[in-house]
Amino acid sequence: MNAIKTLWKQKTIKIGSLTALVWFFALLDWLWIHMLPDTLLVALFAAVLFGSTAFFHRQYKQRATNKLQFWAAFTICVPVWWHAGIFFCEWLGLEVFRAYFARGGLATFFITGLAWVIWALEKHAQQVEAARRQEFSLDNVLQRTQSEGRDESHKIWNPLDPHAWYYGRKAPRLNQSLNGFVSYSILFGLICMILSQFQGCTQYYDLPAGGGENQAVQQVVKVQKVIRTKFILNPYSAINYNTPELDDVKLELNEVTAHRYTKMGFGEGEGAGFAGGTSDGAVGFVRLEYPGGDWNQDFGIGGDMNMLLKYAELTGQKIAKKTQAYSPAQLKTFDGVRCPPLLYITGQQNISLGNNDVKILQEYINDKHGMIFGDNGGSRHFHNQFISMMQRIVPDVRPVRIPTDDPIHTRPFQITRVPYVAPHGGEEALGWFKDGRWVAYYHPGDIGDAWADGHAGVSQDIWANCYRLGVNIMSYAHIEHAKWRLAQKQSDGEE
Amino acid sequence: MKSNRFQLLLALLVTTLTSSVFAQTKITEMSLDRWAKLREVERYQLNIAEKYFKEKKYDVAMSEYEKYLSLYERSDAASFAQLKWSLCLNQLRKQNTAIKEGFQSVIDYWPDSPDAAKASYLIGRTYVAIGRVSYGKKAYQQTIEDYPDNPVAVYSLSGLAEIAGQEKDETSLVKIWKRLAFDIERTKLTASTCASAANSLASYYFGKATFPDALKSLQANYKEEQLAYYVYYYVRSPLGTLVGKEETNVAGLRLADQTVAYLRSNLETDLSTDELKAKATEQWNRMIEVEKYSRRDDKVLAAYKAMLATFGNTDAILGSLADYHASQKRYDQARSIYRQFKDKVQGLAKVAASFVAEGNVTEAVGVYKQLAGVDAENAATWKGAEAAAYVGVKMYPQAIQIYRSLVASDALNSQKWLWALATTQRDANQLKEAIGTFRQCENFPENYRQMAGCHRALKEYKEALILYGQIIGGSEPMAPWAQLQIGYTYEQMASTELAIKAFQKCCKEYPKASYASTAHAHLQNKYKISVTLGGGTDE
Repeated sequence: MNAIKTLWKQKTIKIGSLTALVWFFALLDWLWIHMLPDTLLVALFAAVLFGSTAFFHRQYKQRATNKLQFWAAFTICVPVWWHAGIFFCEWLGLEVFRAYFARGGLATFFITGLAWVIWALEKHAQQVEAARRQEFSLDNVLQRTQSEGRDESHKIWNPLDPHAWYYGRKAPRLNQSLNGFVSYSILFGLICMILSQFQGCTQYYDLPAGGGENQAVQQVVKVQKVIRTKFILNPYSAINYNTPELDDVKLELNEVTAHRYTKMGFGEGEGAGFAGGTSDGAVGFVRLEYPGGDWNQDFGIGGDMNMLLKYAELTGQKIAKKTQAYSPAQLKTFDGVRCPPLLYITGQQNISLGNNDVKILQEYINDKHGMIFGDNGGSRHFHNQFISMMQRIVPDVRPVRIPTDDPIHTRPFQITRVPYVAPHGGEEALGWFKDGRWVAYYHPGDIGDAWADGHAGVSQDIWANCYRLGVNIMSYAHIEHAKWRLAQKQSDGEE
Repeated sequence: MKSNRFQLLLALLVTTLTSSVFAQTKITEMSLDRWAKLREVERYQLNIAEKYFKEKKYDVAMSEYEKYLSLYERSDAASFAQLKWSLCLNQLRKQNTAIKEGFQSVIDYWPDSPDAAKASYLIGRTYVAIGRVSYGKKAYQQTIEDYPDNPVAVYSLSGLAEIAGQEKDETSLVKIWKRLAFDIERTKLTASTCASAANSLASYYFGKATFPDALKSLQANYKEEQLAYYVYYYVRSPLGTLVGKEETNVAGLRLADQTVAYLRSNLETDLSTDELKAKATEQWNRMIEVEKYSRRDDKVLAAYKAMLATFGNTDAILGSLADYHASQKRYDQARSIYRQFKDKVQGLAKVAASFVAEGNVTEAVGVYKQLAGVDAENAATWKGAEAAAYVGVKMYPQAIQIYRSLVASDALNSQKWLWALATTQRDANQLKEAIGTFRQCENFPENYRQMAGCHRALKEYKEALILYGQIIGGSEPMAPWAQLQIGYTYEQMASTELAIKAFQKCCKEYPKASYASTAHAHLQNKYKISVTLGGGTDE
């Protein structure tokens, strides 16, 4: 107790503990609580980052005098830098770097821990061996040799002792290190798995509150010509018909030109949005970070963010601050009901999904009512990859060419012909229809490029239609999901 | 299990394709009786609409059918016009409208017309085509209930079989096939669908190695004298799959034995005329073919032996036996049989070909030289074969020499020899000579394409660019490819800006070509340029 009090009196410990406390609180708020305003959170993270860097800098200068203290400081700083890196990348909208920081940080954290484990093992082993050398007695050894064989009761079980019987006699130190490495890796993996399963790690995707109709909003001028009984006149007839001038003829045209300013969304509520949504909810644009290829084509600001902004402009719905990317494992952490309704997949190389990833995507489509939006980013190969991926996810559904009069092509905007930038996977938009809805939409010609800055140089007509098609697909997925969420809520209520 | 699924799918594909094509033809046509009852003006208007429908100008045809409906609403063919209007919508990919406003209107407004049944079936088929399989299933079932005696009930059953196959519901699939094959009375309109189902059922049973059931299915389709051929025709693929897998090998061999026994029991024994002899030879060949599929070498050889004993040593049988030896890489045995041919030229040609297959060019060349002497009339052909043998082992100078002599001596086939000479020169890296020879060829744009390739290999990029330009001007189908190649050529010239422009031009000028896709991806990947131009819409 006295030792703790003495320690607490030290200035460094006081500052360190305070910084750790602030960092922990900022982390909690950023990940789960969401109570602090963004600016304050940025300030807190910046302060912690600055403090930890200054602390590390001081330790770096003194590294020659106390190496151990330097490495301990480094170990403490790693998670702080790691999380600050992710936070600032996210804040600045650098989604690609965010992914690199997340992975790099985890890897560094793992390696640092591993280094400490090996160091501790080595240190302990040296101590054990030193103690053993002190206890060494030649008589005992000779006596043991004469008695032939080893005494089973003297087997060493302690894994920290390199002479433990299960390390063998050939290379016990190597085997001990290997054991340390394997045990640490398993433990690290297990902790990661447990943390990801932890309720606090469940992610939520809330729809924006409001309501609206799923109606076609584009101005449609429909001219209906009334066909009347025709009289064939004989111009040489004795009867004089009073034929009116062409300009005087009033055609009976039924013109529907009214622009219907309908709220976009689903259900009843104030403002454009979705019934059952929340005030914190926002429409997001989520893409799959799949292994094997270039999943991050046209990702973030200047890419799919343009689409999200256009969605807000055209529908009036509240949108997320930035687009997101999740790996299949991260997708699994989403709540069973409050999960992203649409998952965008693009690229031009391989889609290397493992069986577990496929199961997650199956669960996403079948149990979480999600929808996949595939976009061929640049090769026939990706087309084949996507089709075979879908074959694994929904083996009982065959892809079909989506009709032009399907709701996904007509609401809210009328898409008479599917626009594309380049026909990487042909010209046909394909769909997978299951349980009364499209579970996947495949665009063959790089729609993401048309959304990006510069619009790939295609004509305005094409890129504007690409945006409209994007809005249609996003709207379709969100409306279908909102309907399903309401149905889930009602069935829960009945139960 | 997988092989069974494959066979099931194959069988299903056969049924679906044949029956749906047949159904499509009949459904889009009007019976002559009804046509005869129409007034002249009605026929005139309908003919106009039909003309556009056949020309695949569906939007025009649609308005013509609409016009017919407005003018002759009470006509007997109004329901037909409405049906065709819906089919036009189907073609224009507005299938939802076709179902709700087209086919359903036929059923609602003209329930007693013959087109109502067709519309009912087409609703099911359209639903399946747009992925709404469960709706399609219901529509098919409704059609079968509402119009049990109409051919559309049969087509609907076939559609249900297709869905069962897609859902891997084997029990339902077999049940439907059985009904189609055995229970339904075959008429002119339904015979094809029923026959396809029976064939699919036979394939399925062969895949399960149940010969009697398969035979019974085929008996529903074919007369006794045709049956042996169709047993042979449908058994081969399932037999090969069964024998090829360890777990089904025994069943496969049993099936092979049953098939051979059946074919043997149907062998023609009367060999008194040439016609009967030819028929018997064909039957023997089928039997041996089945043995080949069962991969039993001893049985194949025994069958050949028996065949030779029956028909004597004819070139055809000897050739077939020797070919079999060659396929098993027993070249010496094959050659010894080829040499027994009565037609010495044919025999020697086969011997040479077997040397080539074995990779023994020296021997092959020797035989070809011998052939050129024996068969002087076709000396050019044998010389050409000799040159091809040299090319096969990359002995280009010898081949070039022969081709040159052939160009000079065989004027009738000079183009053929020129092309062979040019490609050989190209492969031998004699690019300048190859360009000269390609220039003499007349198969534009392929020769220009090759010439440009040679120029690029020689780093004569400007010449290559000119040739690509000429291809763009002279061959519309090859133009996108040539434009893409211009880009690559500029790239080789290190003219990045021009290369980018060329790739962008490829995207812009030919946005629907697959080369535009390549150019677009290349611009993005290599130059990190997102402004690739182009863009289009689907048809």
